[in-house]
Amino acid sequence: MVIRIAAVGDVHLDEDVVGRFRPALEELPDCADVLLLAGDLTRHGTEAEARCVAQEFGGLGVPVVTVLGNHDHQCDQVPQVVKVLEDAGITVLEGNSVVLDCAGGRLGIAGVKGFGGGFAGRCASDFGEPEMKAFVRTTTDSADALGAALRGLDCDVRVALTHYSPVPDTLAGEPLEIYPFLGSYQLGQAIDSAPTALALHGHAHAGTEKGTTPGGVRVRNVAHPVIRQAYSIYHLGDHLDSGEVSRTVSSGIQRTWS
Amino acid sequence: MTEHRDVATGPPDEYVEAEVHRLLTEDPAVAEQGITVARRERGLVLQGEVESEHRREEILRRVAERFPDVPVTSDIGVIRTSAPTEIEQLP
Repeated sequence: MVIRIAAVGDVHLDEDVVGRFRPALEELPDCADVLLLAGDLTRHGTEAEARCVAQEFGGLGVPVVTVLGNHDHQCDQVPQVVKVLEDAGITVLEGNSVVLDCAGGRLGIAGVKGFGGGFAGRCASDFGEPEMKAFVRTTTDSADALGAALRGLDCDVRVALTHYSPVPDTLAGEPLEIYPFLGSYQLGQAIDSAPTALALHGHAHAGTEKGTTPGGVRVRNVAHPVIRQAYSIYHLGDHLDSGEVSRTVSSGIQRTWS
Repeated sequence: MTEHRDVATGPPDEYVEAEVHRLLTEDPAVAEQGITVARRERGLVLQGEVESEHRREEILRRVAERFPDVPVTSDIGVIRTSAPTEIEQLP
């Protein structure tokens, strides 16, 4: 049995984008069990923009699960944004998880926005000025919450959903100097603390799609400018081996796309 | 004595590059973090992808408004939103 996951991040909706994704989204019930959104749903995180997200991604016929991104925090209207999304039936994760009963098994999704800090050997430390310590502790708290949520899941297949990247692999193409603003190894460490099948993130528009954590968990950057389509689809099979290299099957699609 | 060059004339310098880069993110009319600004001999090249044609036009309008004497070349695309034509199998 297979669990079919559709995913995209960084769609940055506002009135000028409403309707662009919808034709492709209407096909989801035929090809996916769930749609995961990897944050940055809006441009500035306003309630009005969240209504655009609700209009575009609500009522799709498949469950929609999301985390927020940094853009969704810009106008300090997070509670209003979350309420609009939840009223539209979209599950918003932040340090918690959800389990969905799919035809291929129980899919557990744990999510956090995450934060920056950098990667092993080249990262910020919890030391010095209060601002620096607050920066690093924000990431540590987020990673701790993600790890706890993943380990606490009772399901067949675990997926981690973040906005910031858990690995540097999927940042290739971004300037090295900004890696500490794009993700943190602590998120990868949290993902590796549970038998996670797949980790999805966004945020790095100039990055690349594929990577793995040090523990061998497949990581996919599904930022819209990276995948260059309405969403990507991943099939997770019965006998997961997190150390195995993934195979792309170009002819594997189960229907003809027009 | 070092003569400070007027950034509004001649080729853009590092400070103009930095200001344009920050404008792209911090200007509420733009709010794009994914556009790169490259400084070339004859001006700035803006490169990246956005979600609508309106946003691409707005970026060029705002930069031209703020830096009217800086020659800007646009290489900004609008990202496709078609359904995928393939899936990835993850055993």
